[in-house]
Amino acid sequence: MSANLVELARRAGAPGGPTAVEQLAQVAAQRGEVTDEDIRAVAARTGLPEAAVYGVATFYEDLHAARGRRHVRACTGTACFAATGGAHLGALADGLGVEPGERSADGELSLAQTTCLGFCHSAPAIRDGDTVDAGPGALERVLAGRTRQATEPPARSLLPEPVLTAPGDWEGLRAALGRSAPQELLDEVLAADLRGRGGAAFPAGRKWQFAAGATGERRYIVANGDEGDPGSYIDKHLMEHAPDLLLEGMALAGYAIGASEGFVLVRSEYPASRLALEAAAQRARERGLLGEDILGSGLRFDVTIVEGAGSYVVGEETALLACLQGLRGTVSARPPFPAERGLYGMPTVVNNVETLCNVPFIAARGAAAYRALSPGASAGSKLVCFNERFRRPGVVEVSFGITVRELCEEVAGGLADGQHLKAVQIGGPLGGILPARLLDTPLDFEPLAAVGCMVGHGSIVGFDAGTDMRDLARHLLRFGADESCGKCFPCRIGLRRAHAMVAGPGVIDRERLEALLETLELGSLCAHGGGMPAPIRSLIAHFPQELGLT
Amino acid sequence: MTRLTVDGESVEVEPGTTVLEAARAAGSEIPTLCFDERLASFGACRVCLVGVAGAPAPLAACTTPCAEGMQVETRDPAAQRVARAVVELVLSELAEPPAPHTELAALARRLDVGEPRWPGAVHAPDDDLRHPYLALRHGLCISCGRCVRACDEIQGAFALTATGRGFQANVAAGIDAGFRDSACVSCGACADTCPTEAITEISLLHLAESATI
Repeated sequence: MSANLVELARRAGAPGGPTAVEQLAQVAAQRGEVTDEDIRAVAARTGLPEAAVYGVATFYEDLHAARGRRHVRACTGTACFAATGGAHLGALADGLGVEPGERSADGELSLAQTTCLGFCHSAPAIRDGDTVDAGPGALERVLAGRTRQATEPPARSLLPEPVLTAPGDWEGLRAALGRSAPQELLDEVLAADLRGRGGAAFPAGRKWQFAAGATGERRYIVANGDEGDPGSYIDKHLMEHAPDLLLEGMALAGYAIGASEGFVLVRSEYPASRLALEAAAQRARERGLLGEDILGSGLRFDVTIVEGAGSYVVGEETALLACLQGLRGTVSARPPFPAERGLYGMPTVVNNVETLCNVPFIAARGAAAYRALSPGASAGSKLVCFNERFRRPGVVEVSFGITVRELCEEVAGGLADGQHLKAVQIGGPLGGILPARLLDTPLDFEPLAAVGCMVGHGSIVGFDAGTDMRDLARHLLRFGADESCGKCFPCRIGLRRAHAMVAGPGVIDRERLEALLETLELGSLCAHGGGMPAPIRSLIAHFPQELGLT
Repeated sequence: MTRLTVDGESVEVEPGTTVLEAARAAGSEIPTLCFDERLASFGACRVCLVGVAGAPAPLAACTTPCAEGMQVETRDPAAQRVARAVVELVLSELAEPPAPHTELAALARRLDVGEPRWPGAVHAPDDDLRHPYLALRHGLCISCGRCVRACDEIQGAFALTATGRGFQANVAAGIDAGFRDSACVSCGACADTCPTEAITEISLLHLAESATI
């Protein structure tokens, strides 16, 4: 990203004020579209050049789609695909009389696609304004103008004592401030072997160590709440039902590395998450748990909640920082890593929401207790979530090492209506697809990698026998191409071409497809282009005939 | 100083030197497309991929800093395969082949890139000829970001921006109003760096020629 643009924004008063992305999003939400005049006004307020703000306005989904007074968004995530094969979008367009991406001539109504609303437990999901309806009858209710907020199944824990499924109590911060120096907390997190829960599984303690050792006027903690993986609603659950756990984890990270400011980037597809976090932060300030002189210890730490504007790739850490600075959410080459040069050029820890939610337990109970949560496997507690195809969907807290079969058959109760499980996709769109015959694979980083899959965000999307695997490939690559940030050439062009190869009706030339997948895997700048081939590789390996390969 | 080998040749470089700079110093030529030595490395095109011993996948030479003991192989087969495929993809997004004298055409000849294996949608022609000295042909843009960076880093005019995302990514001057209604100062840095002639200078000679026809 341009160092000059970042500096211009900084001189105009950032960080602190609303970013260019947030200001444009507010205009789009209030007035239905962003005009040239709005772009000039936002440029003047943020210190950014007009052209740069225009570039921002053309990048994010929420900023360039014209909205009617009633704005309806159909979730086109993978769980909704598994539920309807995508039919709900067409039915919604027919019923409303507006095509996806369009606004009615009288400006009354507009329809858009969105991926994903995080109501995968009761798909298909439809957002009408800020109300999300989901599951059986949702389509009919939205068409009849009787949209109602969907309920969410309560989270369950299979651990003897819940770690991530209990609301935070700030005991970890009290313990750390009361008896350990920042370095001791950092050592404890390193010893706990806490690996990142956002997909890359990088040890959190090492990130902290790098940031603590880097030079800069100040340091920042950034929580990545842009859980864009279709099928995953784990971070959504944490932000809405355990926001204190996240805020406490951030304060602990700030204490450990010497940062006094934190940011949470929440995706706009989760309207309730931002509200829950802001309310929790306000309560925490009132209780002296955030702000100046926390609990009388002299520690200063506060958190700002920032909303995204519709981009999957913003979940990648350099793109996330670009978005937080109000810029186009494109990926930057690493090094420099954010720990060395991140937000506004300062050392920055970017951790996933669930990763940070694990920290209070480590601070309160120690690394040994944390590792003991998953005996004989990767350390700690893990949240998984199931899609609507299962009998008991929802968020469940488990130990690493449990097999995917136990998860699907016992924990989630198998598929509803006696359906036969054909395959599962674990960890989001960049995760491989596990056919039913490999269900005995343990849920853990290395065993899943060995079968071309990953833990990812921990989502488990089950497909029943009725799912057409060529349709699934089409669905996934369409998502991949739509969400490419457009910076690196393999992803920008390659995903479009890969989608075209599977979208047509004919047989697919396997050699040409595999050469394209290799270009994406080895050539892409980030995990989006690099990871999108993983599920396609799985389909080639396990369902070659259904895919229609030569 | 940092010591490494490039294609078996030992090289000693200042800390912070990129693999691309070290390779060029050692006499190994690495093809590039989004790179311009006047601008900060961008890492978008992936044409400068090289093999590095111990790395799980090829690395972009322009954004990878040299490390002590690094062994760089500029002719790594996987890296070369991917670089060629990328140029093939780039050619496939243009409605017509690039003019023979452009940097992109020269690169395609050098890498011996043939017919695209993955044909498909191309960028629609959309010419902006409103400015007296600069022409912007969106259909020839390959989103390498060189013009945007030149405007930002060389001139500091910030008249250009990347637009859209994915396959629709392109560039715009001002609020897509063209160079004339932007902060453009007609310095020509964008046209100078463009590898496809998506941005060209309209010289007085051209104007004189068209006037006589």
